[in-house]
Amino acid sequence: MNTKERENAILPATDILERSEGFHIFMDMPGVAPDALSIDLEENELMVTGASRYTPASETQGRYSTPEFGAPVYRRVFTLSDMVDRERIKASLKDGVLDLFLPKAEAMKPRRIPISSGELE
Amino acid sequence: MVIDFNTVYDLPKDMDRLFAGILGSSGMAQRRITYPLINVSENDESYMVDICLPGVPAEELEITLAARSLIIKGERKAPEGRYFRQERAAGSFQRIISLNVPVARDGVTAKSENGIVRVTLPKTEEVKPRRIAIE
Repeated sequence: MNTKERENAILPATDILERSEGFHIFMDMPGVAPDALSIDLEENELMVTGASRYTPASETQGRYSTPEFGAPVYRRVFTLSDMVDRERIKASLKDGVLDLFLPKAEAMKPRRIPISSGELE
Repeated sequence: MVIDFNTVYDLPKDMDRLFAGILGSSGMAQRRITYPLINVSENDESYMVDICLPGVPAEELEITLAARSLIIKGERKAPEGRYFRQERAAGSFQRIISLNVPVARDGVTAKSENGIVRVTLPKTEEVKPRRIAIE
């Protein structure tokens, strides 16, 4: 990844939501094929990068009206909290949408603390 | 005394980025107002309409060829859950592209790849470029 690509990378539209079993991050990455996607976890930072493989027809052949979308490099960095079980993060890419599933760590699930009666030491 | 703020404030670069953001958004046609985004192109054989529709499966999408227009219609469903952030557009959409040229109606095809749908509308023989032989 050279400097130019890094500068030109755009932030993909993202939904972040919580369900009982964990968090989901949905990202719009139209034109990105599964093999052009990289997800890197370094300490607390999760970096998602994907290069669109969409080839506007004008580049290969023919003429164009005003283009409304292109083939960018998408990049977004998330900071994970300790609530996330890093070992079990799952990702799937379908129809140009990345679904990242971040399960909650077992230790972080709410736990009730039992109270025993007796004298304090 | 000289205080170097460079490590704290990256101002020139931030400003560049701000301007790039402003110019970049107006560079693309009618961003945020229109949905879905499309690219229209043509070659000698056909017209191509590329529709940017990530997350819309083929069965949720309806592409109709009317007398003089191409109608793109569908619904994009928002996933269920408690939202912390919602940036992705959701809901019903429709976009009509007028065709001012005759197309070979039976030859129209649509193909979807990684969230981008390409509709190919072949040109009719009358409008195809034709070399005229000189007698």
